[in-house]
Amino acid sequence: MSAHVAVDGLTITFGEPGQQRAAVDDVTLKITQGATFGIVGESGSGKSTLARALLGHTRPGARVARGHVDLGGTDVFALHGKALRTFRGRSAAMVPQNPLSSLTPHCTIRQQLLELITLHTPLRGEAALRRVRELMDRTGLPDPAALQRRYPHELSGGQRQRVVIASVLVAKPSLIVLDEPTTALDKTVEARVLALVTEVAAEIGATLVYVSHDLNVVGAICEHVAVMKDGRLVEEGKTRAIFADPRAPYTRRLVEAIPILKAAPPPPTGHPPQTVLAAEAVTFQYRRRGVFKRGGPAVLNNVSFQLCVGETLGLVGESGSGKSTLASLIAGAVSGHSGTIRLQDAVLAGPARQRARALRRRVQMVFQDPLSSLNPAQTVGEIVGRPARLYFGDTAAQAHKKSVALLAELDLPAELLTRRPRELSGGQQQRVAVARALAADPDVLICDEVTSALDVTVQASLIALLKRLQRERGIACLFISHDLAVVSDIAHRIMVLERGEVRDYGPRDQVIASPETAYTKMLLDAFRATQALRQERAREALAS
Amino acid sequence: MAVEALPARVPSRLREALISPLTAIGVTLVAIHLVLALFSPWIAPYSVSAIFTDGLTPPSAEHWLGTDQIGRDYLSRLMSGGRVALLVSAVGAAVAVLVGTLLGLMAGYLGGLIDDAIMRVTDAVMAVPELVLIAILVLTFGKDIAALSVIVAIVYTPGVVRVVRAKTASLAALDYVRAAELRGEPIPRILLMEIAPNLGGLLAVELAIRMSSAILKISALSFLGLGISQPTPDWGLMVQEAMSVVFTDPWFLILPAAALSSLIIGINFAVDGLARAYGISAKGTR
Repeated sequence: MSAHVAVDGLTITFGEPGQQRAAVDDVTLKITQGATFGIVGESGSGKSTLARALLGHTRPGARVARGHVDLGGTDVFALHGKALRTFRGRSAAMVPQNPLSSLTPHCTIRQQLLELITLHTPLRGEAALRRVRELMDRTGLPDPAALQRRYPHELSGGQRQRVVIASVLVAKPSLIVLDEPTTALDKTVEARVLALVTEVAAEIGATLVYVSHDLNVVGAICEHVAVMKDGRLVEEGKTRAIFADPRAPYTRRLVEAIPILKAAPPPPTGHPPQTVLAAEAVTFQYRRRGVFKRGGPAVLNNVSFQLCVGETLGLVGESGSGKSTLASLIAGAVSGHSGTIRLQDAVLAGPARQRARALRRRVQMVFQDPLSSLNPAQTVGEIVGRPARLYFGDTAAQAHKKSVALLAELDLPAELLTRRPRELSGGQQQRVAVARALAADPDVLICDEVTSALDVTVQASLIALLKRLQRERGIACLFISHDLAVVSDIAHRIMVLERGEVRDYGPRDQVIASPETAYTKMLLDAFRATQALRQERAREALAS
Repeated sequence: MAVEALPARVPSRLREALISPLTAIGVTLVAIHLVLALFSPWIAPYSVSAIFTDGLTPPSAEHWLGTDQIGRDYLSRLMSGGRVALLVSAVGAAVAVLVGTLLGLMAGYLGGLIDDAIMRVTDAVMAVPELVLIAILVLTFGKDIAALSVIVAIVYTPGVVRVVRAKTASLAALDYVRAAELRGEPIPRILLMEIAPNLGGLLAVELAIRMSSAILKISALSFLGLGISQPTPDWGLMVQEAMSVVFTDPWFLILPAAALSSLIIGINFAVDGLARAYGISAKGTR
């Protein structure tokens, strides 16, 4: 079959003349008509820049230094003005990462779709309105009559992305480029949106280019995949072949870092198990301000669990499940729950400020976004040394000595002590945040989505580090994540939360092997599917 | 063993900003004015109050810009004309930024009743037009250098409070402040060690903007006879003196006005560079 999209020696540079940096560096690839093609890479690999170039678009400040992109016989960079606008939409369309920013906030869903229909098709009046309803039905949007009149902000994230997909379908383009369309969505919503995308692309016979950092997702929907690193194409080929036998060392690292349900972590040391943190029937609701001070809906409802010394409890749930609220209650960022939370013999209640200093020291937290949790005005030395000075009354020299030792323990170079957070890589920042928590020598470490802001390879090394630290220090860890695969790698026990209620709670293997509720099963199925795919591909590769 | 290579140090944003030509012009103008303000008594050819002639004389070899209506050397007076205004506005603006920052930090971080109390007083002061407020305060406190400095501080504190409060509220939502709260850091430490250092660029911009505004206001006051008074040389005062001879000897109006403008323009160019360096919109705070 002939190539539908042909990229030839494409180089796109950023920056002033003289000190240019190539975001896309000499990339050549061909995509056949109707194929599903994945472009995978970590942040900064140039995958989004390449994807935009397929539509003849470059970000401000970017320059096409060499090469061209040919789509169905058209040189996309030769297009200007009206020809380019017609080309985008009719021949090629894009589904961006954040659907909210690609929908006009002051137009209803109907207006947005109608505008595109009048622009790209001869349909008018009643026929156009019928097409709006068809599109909404096709993309699985509920209750089209009512939803048409809503504004983008009144829709859920998954619904917004469906509207964007509906608008892409208007002109039936021959190429659909999706740039991380599901990163902002929960796992269960993601699965449904992905299914929709592949279905409609097949229906209109469009070529699908899917850009993602998530090899897992790409493996599930794409036949071909290209792996990018630092602007260069590292490897390209059939997805099956790459999964089964990655050639480039970088691809191998990516494939190995795919979160799959791994073998159980070694059991916690220390016998008999000694409970360090216990929650009993914890219920919490945010108080509403105003004249009628009724409580809001329960964020947590009757949550109980136990955490033993040297053990990790994985807390899994999607956004709005209450998992972060539970962490905040334990750490003392919010207060006012009913039920009890106990740290050994002491009761944890009230805001952190009202708790005894010794009690505060024993519970430490690591946050999701490492850059926001480290003060940009302080050096790493000040950040990591602070807990020792606050809790143990150390002198500056003593605190410095402890910081040096801690950094060494976390495989960080001691030169980092004089650096400020923004001079560090994401992985280093998160390690510094872990070091700050460990400087307090806590009994319980709360990790709130600590891996979700990191690239997959960095993620894997942070998890390995946390496991090692736990083994060496015997810390109890409450590990919160939306990602069941990451949790299965580190947790000894798993608790699944949905809308504030415990759906599943038990030893890791029991929850994974025989989940009690349909909700947990659904979360697990997503990972099982990719895992089965991988095993099947590995077998095929061996057989051939 | 290190996990990954150490990333390169991020270059100073300040140094980058100073490379821009407009910023360089601004910084140069400000530097010239600062040197004149600090050292004019030693640089100027004559004393500012010595009388040489009976009245106006044209430029000559002895007096390069001639003499004024009462026979004083005009060049010397022009060189010293910004001293008092600069001093008063620098001291006043510095006090306003200091006090405004402390109040803004408390209002923005603590919220509740303290926030309400600080902000309502601030609103009340800001509701009075600046020039009217200054005039009332001059009539109350007098117009010596100390009183004028206090007046500048009073007039400019509320604006600083507003800006710092808004920034504080947005910083307080960040995880590093939450981390400090969970550690149980005392409130003054959170305000001064966690939040205040991150206001750095904003405060520098605030200081400069308030200063340039204060210099203009003081000159206006002197022009109206409410500010700096004779025999102290002052550009505002010199413009006022020039009003009677503006049609015969216009340079008496043009020269002090140009001196004043060059200082204000210099500060504003420098501030724009500073604001760009710290990613602050200078327009929003003006």
